Amino acid sequence: MSVGMEQQRRAMTGGRRGPIRDAVFFLVLGGLSSCFVLLIVLLLAADLSFTSSAAFAAALRKPEIQAAFRLTILTCTLAAVLSVWVATPLGYLLSRFRFPGSRIVDVIVDIPIVLPPLVLGLSLLILFHQPFPLTQFFGGGGANSAGLETSTGRPAGWILENWMEDSLGLPVTYRWPAVVLAQFAVSCAFAVRTMRVTFDQINPRAEDVARTLGCTRGQAFLQVALPQAWRGILTAGTISWARALGEFGPILVFAGATRFRTEVLSTSVFLELSVGQLDAAVAVSLMMVLMAVAVLLFLRWLGAGMST
Amino acid sequence: MAKTAVVIPVSLLMMAGMVLLLVQSDRPQLRPSAAGVAEPAGGSSAELSLFCAASNRAVLEPIRERYERETGHRVQIQYGASQTLLSQLRVAGVADLFLPADDSFLNIARESGLVAEVLPIARMRCGLVVRRGNPSGIRSVSDLLRDGVRLVQANPDATAVGKLARQVLTKQGLWEAAEAATEGFRTTVNDVANDVEVGAADVGIVYDVVLFGRSELEFVEIPELQGAVSQVSVGVTAGSRQPAAALHFARYLSAEDRGLEEYRRQGYVVERGDLWADVPELSVYAGSMLRPAIEETITAFEQREGVRVSRSYNGCGILVAQMKSGQHPDAYFACDMEFMKQVGDLFGPSTAVSQNELVILVPRGNPRGIAGLQDLTQADLRVGIGHEKQCAMGWITQRTFAESGLTTKIMENVTVQTPTGDMLVNQLRTGSLDAAVAYLSNAAGAAEFLDAVQIQGIECSVATQPWAVLRQSRYPLLAHRLFERISSAESQEIFAAEGFRWQLSEGSGLTEPAAGAAVPAAP
Repeated sequence: MSVGMEQQRRAMTGGRRGPIRDAVFFLVLGGLSSCFVLLIVLLLAADLSFTSSAAFAAALRKPEIQAAFRLTILTCTLAAVLSVWVATPLGYLLSRFRFPGSRIVDVIVDIPIVLPPLVLGLSLLILFHQPFPLTQFFGGGGANSAGLETSTGRPAGWILENWMEDSLGLPVTYRWPAVVLAQFAVSCAFAVRTMRVTFDQINPRAEDVARTLGCTRGQAFLQVALPQAWRGILTAGTISWARALGEFGPILVFAGATRFRTEVLSTSVFLELSVGQLDAAVAVSLMMVLMAVAVLLFLRWLGAGMST
Repeated sequence: MAKTAVVIPVSLLMMAGMVLLLVQSDRPQLRPSAAGVAEPAGGSSAELSLFCAASNRAVLEPIRERYERETGHRVQIQYGASQTLLSQLRVAGVADLFLPADDSFLNIARESGLVAEVLPIARMRCGLVVRRGNPSGIRSVSDLLRDGVRLVQANPDATAVGKLARQVLTKQGLWEAAEAATEGFRTTVNDVANDVEVGAADVGIVYDVVLFGRSELEFVEIPELQGAVSQVSVGVTAGSRQPAAALHFARYLSAEDRGLEEYRRQGYVVERGDLWADVPELSVYAGSMLRPAIEETITAFEQREGVRVSRSYNGCGILVAQMKSGQHPDAYFACDMEFMKQVGDLFGPSTAVSQNELVILVPRGNPRGIAGLQDLTQADLRVGIGHEKQCAMGWITQRTFAESGLTTKIMENVTVQTPTGDMLVNQLRTGSLDAAVAYLSNAAGAAEFLDAVQIQGIECSVATQPWAVLRQSRYPLLAHRLFERISSAESQEIFAAEGFRWQLSEGSGLTEPAAGAAVPAAP
C-alpha cells in the first residue's frame, strides 16, 4: 500500500526533493508508531518465552480453567450486549438533546471509568447488603425478609440482596449475576462514551429531513440514525467486551473467586499468581490474549460486512 | 433498516441464550427457588461457604476434595486476598468460615465480633527467599544491605509477613537499615517471591511455605529472623447459620490425621491437633459443686459444635480415685487445687477459674442461732459435713476445723459425712440436720429454705476450682474450645448466680486461643 502511495505522491509533486522528505516523514512516523507496537510484541514474546507449550496445554486441560473460560465468554458477551443496549439510547440522548441535568448525567456516566476498580466492587457489595436508609422505619413485608440479618447485629431494613433472593429467587452476590453486573458497570461507561461520539459525528440533518417527511422521532432514530451508527455500535460492543474480559477488581470483591461458580479468567490469573504458579498464570493470560484477538478480528470482519 | 430489524431481535435472543446457559451452569448449586419457604440466605444447609486466603489454595483444594468424598458435605471456597475477604465479611457477612493468610486478620475479625471460634492449624516461618543456589551468597541481614543486592519486601502495614519482619527487625535495631535498602514494597508475600523468581529482585523476606513447589527458589533461614513465625487459623463466623456444620469442616481442617497431613506435606510447621471423628465425644470430669455452674454452658457447647460431651460429676476424691485407677477424661474441672495436684502429672497446666467459699448452712431463720464455727459445738446439734477423702469440700472443711482448733469438739456433733454438698442440702431441707458445712454455691438453689453463715477469719475456707486438659487427650483443641466457652462472659454470670467468685482475669481464656491449645506441653 505504501508503494502505491509513494507513486501517487511522486506523480503529484514530480520534484526531486519530494521522495527524500517523504522518506524522512515516514521514518519519523514509523519510528514513533513502532515504539508502541514493538512494546506489545515484546510483551507477548516475553510471556511466550516464560511459559512452555506443555504448561499451556496443562492449563487448558484443568477443568476449573475450562469452566472459567466458558464463564468468561458468557458473562463478557452478556455484559457487552447489555452495554450496547443501554449505551445506544443513552449516547443518542446525550448527543442530540439538552435536557435539564444532561450535564450531570454526562458526568455520572464517566464515574465508573475514573473510579478505582476495588472501590466499585465494594460499592456494589455495600449497595446489595446494607439496609437502604430509612427503610427500617417502614417495617412491612420487606423488613421481614430482611429481618434475618438482625441476628448478626445489623440494623433491620430493606436489603436489596435479600429481596432479590426471596422475591425473585435470584441471588446476586458471589454468583454469576454479580460477575455480569460488575463487568457491565464498567464496560457500559465505555460504550456510552463511544456511542455519544458516534452520534455526535452523525449529522442530525438527515433525521430532521426524515421528520419533515413524516417520520416520528422513533422512526427517525431507528431508520435513519441507527443504520448510520453501525460502526460505532460495533466499536462500542468490542470495547465493552474487551473491557469486561479484563475486568478484575470489582469481580473479586463483589463476585468473589469461587471455583466453577464465579471464577473468570482474570481471577484465574490472580489465583494462580497468588499460589506462585507463574507459568500457569502466564498460560491463562496468553489464552486471554488469543481470545481477545479472535473476538476483535471477528468484529472487524462483521463491521466490514455491515458497511458494505 | 432490514439490518436493524434483524439485529435487534438477534441481540435479544443472544442475551436470553447467555442467561439460560449461565443459569444452567449454576444449576447444581442452585437451591430449589424459595416459593414462599423462607430459606436462609447464603446457600442451603448442605453447602458451606469458606472465605479463604488465596495463598492457602494449594493446601485447601486436596483437603476439600477429601472431605467431600469422605463425608458427602459440600464446601464452596471463595479465594481472595485476606484484606478483601475481611471487608466482604464485614459488609456482606455471608460466609460460614474465614481462613485468612494469618492470624492477624482473625484477631481483627474477632475484635469486631465477626468471628466466634478460632481453630489453630499451622505455622509459617519467616525468612529470606533467593534463587536456587543462593547466587548472591546471602546468609544474614548484613548481606541484604550490601551494594548490588536488590531486596524486596512485603508492605509492613498491609501484609502479615511485612508486619512481622518490621517488628522483629525493629527490636534488633536493624529495621531502618533494612527499610532503606529495600528496592520496593509489594502488596502480598507472593508478589515478593514472584519478583525473585522472574529476576526483578535478588532476595525478599517471605514465609517459607510460599516456596512450596517452586523449584527455582530457595529458602534461607537467617539468625535475625529466627523464631519469627505466623499462625494460620480458621475462624467460624459469628453470623454463620450452620455453626455445627461449619465447625465440622473446621475440625476436619485442623485434625491431626486429616487436614494437618496436607499442611505438613506442603511445608507448614504443624503442631499437635485433634484426631478426626465425625462426632467426637469429649469426656469431662467435674466436681459436683460445679454442675449447676457449667451444665447449661456445656449443653450449649454441644449444640453449637455438634459434638458430645460426656460429663461425670462427683466428689473430687472419687474422681481422683477413678483417674488413678486408669480412667482418663479429656478435661478435668476440679473442686480445689489440691485435687488437681494429685493427678497433675496426667494433665497440662491448669487455670484457676472460680472460687467457692465454705459456709455454715442452717435452716431459714437460723433457729439455733449459729454465728460461727464455735456455735457448731453446741450440745445436741446435728451437723453434716463433706467426706474428707471423697470430696474437696470435706478436705477443706477438715483444714478449716483444724485452723480454728475446734476439730474434736465439732466432730462429736457430726452425724453424717457425704461425698457431695448437695446431699447435705437435701438433709437440711428434710430436717435431719441442724447445720451443715458446705459451699456457698450449694445453697444457691435453695435460698428460700436455707441461710448461709460466713466463716470468718480463716483463709483456707475458700476453694479454688482449676481447669486442665489431659496431656494425652485425643481432642486437646476441642477441650480448649469448651474451656473458652466456660471462660465467656455469659458463663461468668452463671457462676456468679450460683455463688461462685470469678478467678479468671478479664478475657484470660481468650488471649491465646491458638497457642494455649496447640502447645499444651509448653509451661
